[in-house]
Amino acid sequence: MAKKKCVAMLLAGGKGSRLNSLTKDLAKPAVPFGGKYRIIDFPLSNCANSNIDTVGVLTQYQPLLLNSYIGIGSAWDLDRKDGGVTVLPPYAESSEVKWYTGTASAIYQNLNYLKQYQPEYVLILSGDHIYKMNYESMLEYHIEKRADVTISLIEVPWNEASRFGIMDTDEDLRIVDFDEKPANPKNNLASMGIYIFSWNILKEYLEMDERNPDSSHDFGKDVIPMLLEENKKLFAYPFKGYWKDVGTVKSLWEANMDLLSEDCDLDLFDHDWRIYSVNPNQPPQYISTDAIVNESLINEGCTIEGEVDKSVLFQGVTVGKGTIIKESVIMPDASIGSNCLIEKAIVQEDVKVPDGTVIRSFDDEIILVTNEMLSGLYPAF
Amino acid sequence: MKRNLLGVIDATTYHDDLEDLITHRSLAALPFAGRYRIIDFVLSNMVNSGIRSVAIFPKMQYRSLMDHLGSGKNWDLNRKSDGLFFFPSPIIDNDGHKIGSFENFGENIDFFYRSTQEYAIISNCYTVFNMNFRPILDWHSRSGCDITEIHHKDGGSMEMYLIKTSLLIKLIETRNETGYTCMKDVVNDLQDLYSVCHYGYDGYAVMIDSIANYFSTSMNLLKLDVWKELFLKDQPIFTKVKDEPPTKYVKGSDVKNAMIANGCIINGTVENSIISRGVKIGKGAVIKNCIIMQKCQIEENCYLDSVILDKDVKVEAGVQLFGTAQSPLVIRKGTKQGALMNS
Repeated sequence: MAKKKCVAMLLAGGKGSRLNSLTKDLAKPAVPFGGKYRIIDFPLSNCANSNIDTVGVLTQYQPLLLNSYIGIGSAWDLDRKDGGVTVLPPYAESSEVKWYTGTASAIYQNLNYLKQYQPEYVLILSGDHIYKMNYESMLEYHIEKRADVTISLIEVPWNEASRFGIMDTDEDLRIVDFDEKPANPKNNLASMGIYIFSWNILKEYLEMDERNPDSSHDFGKDVIPMLLEENKKLFAYPFKGYWKDVGTVKSLWEANMDLLSEDCDLDLFDHDWRIYSVNPNQPPQYISTDAIVNESLINEGCTIEGEVDKSVLFQGVTVGKGTIIKESVIMPDASIGSNCLIEKAIVQEDVKVPDGTVIRSFDDEIILVTNEMLSGLYPAF
Repeated sequence: MKRNLLGVIDATTYHDDLEDLITHRSLAALPFAGRYRIIDFVLSNMVNSGIRSVAIFPKMQYRSLMDHLGSGKNWDLNRKSDGLFFFPSPIIDNDGHKIGSFENFGENIDFFYRSTQEYAIISNCYTVFNMNFRPILDWHSRSGCDITEIHHKDGGSMEMYLIKTSLLIKLIETRNETGYTCMKDVVNDLQDLYSVCHYGYDGYAVMIDSIANYFSTSMNLLKLDVWKELFLKDQPIFTKVKDEPPTKYVKGSDVKNAMIANGCIINGTVENSIISRGVKIGKGAVIKNCIIMQKCQIEENCYLDSVILDKDVKVEAGVQLFGTAQSPLVIRKGTKQGALMNS
């Protein structure tokens, strides 16, 4: 197999349990976003745009939809003769099935996949984040710094810092301290969960970590602290731009609403850095004579006969006459009947909302509309 | 008992009445309904009818058609055996003497010899419809006719013919002796050498042969019942997919009765119009009764009524353009409509 300078490993096994029933049947990276995409489109498109053509996608939790969505990777131009996308589920060896117990063990169990390409560098990505980033520039930085490991870093609001791995660096951006989810963070420079490892270091330390019975086999908790302890050269790569970890229903809703603001940092219309996605092939959207559409993102295949205000509508959504949809996200193929009011809600895929339904939030909570929830409202339905 | 059907699309047609839209592209590649090319309808119908082998015979200006079709992947026709075949004509019309489709088929007769399908359907490339050919094949094979010509309920021929592949080969081989240049010659021959039956189709179907009818057919898509008859969930019209984001309706935009493709940014007013992929409409601009093709840019405070903008047209701020429903104004591909030029 052809030798590759850099191979990406995309961790896509996350459950995202705080997304509630959104991730009941699918992994977090497969959650729909932005009227057309799934979260995993962002790291995969970043790879394609950064000239990284070999990507291992590690799946574990609810992989069915993700597997068929990724397919052979052609949507991201990653169906290649050499390399391309490979889905890497956990597998059984003669003695046992080896589930991925942590981020580090997931990569460790696929060292053989990596060895095929004899990479010089391995880029480790998470399938949970929405952002546009040039990994090629990060790799150049890693090489320039002669780093063993480079971790991308972003400034986060202080009140959220304790959700992340927090870094302390010297003036040369060399990492001197790393705290995974500290209760009292020392600063607000958070790890984005994007690492570039030089291959030898990765291999050596993953093998070491695997032998340690006390390790939880996690990059942030175990591998990075071990590398710091041994005085390896870890550098921070500062990232500026839009980056969002959509861990909760609220933050998923917020990220969708971000797209509607006129000065949004996440430009989906940039032809030089396209976000690729599996295209649904539906007819253009139809906006009827009675419809009112304002400040919204609407995808193909939608039929709008009501009012849509500050909302994001995925493909194939229908909105009936007299219905008002405000500050909401309507996922693929959901149909909203006539004379409904939906405000500050996320309506899940394929949900049918009966005529006259009123769903609105009176506090800051975002309501997740599912078939189960509606059958509670309409017992006879 | 699954009988195999071969798809043959004659894409050599040129309609003078469509000239402004087809000088640089094959009629088959004429953009339609915001994201399609006209050939998508017949091609998708063939695929949805279970046809696995489709031959397309284009003549001039086929670059855009080839670019559109690619390997046939979007129609699931990039197959190891069968799939999509593209046979550009090696012959050029000389003055006053048009080459018939049989001549083009004859240049590639080996393809027909090699095809294993028992029947062939030969179709034009410029009909807007959503039809399953399977029932017609059943009807044809029961009828015992040599040739079935599909007719529309309104009377006219739809220029689609079902025929045994072996008979088609014979017609191609003997074209010089018989004088038949195309299927139309065969079915209209008063000698009645072959039994010709008519199959009546009563669904929605329009053959696009003039700018006026291109315009009115496009506008008819804004009727929800027509839209629903053309775009069926279980018989989708496939096309080349593009990675455009959803369309963005900016604050202050006002859209009524419109069909809008992906990747547009709409600031102004749009009424009774078809907007293709990647179109930008500036603040204060008003678009009424228009067909706007891919990647057009309409700047602030323009006013357009009954206009067809071909691809990549830029209309500068404040420009006003008018046509009429009977005679829409056509602006050619890639041109710039400046405020000065207009005054």
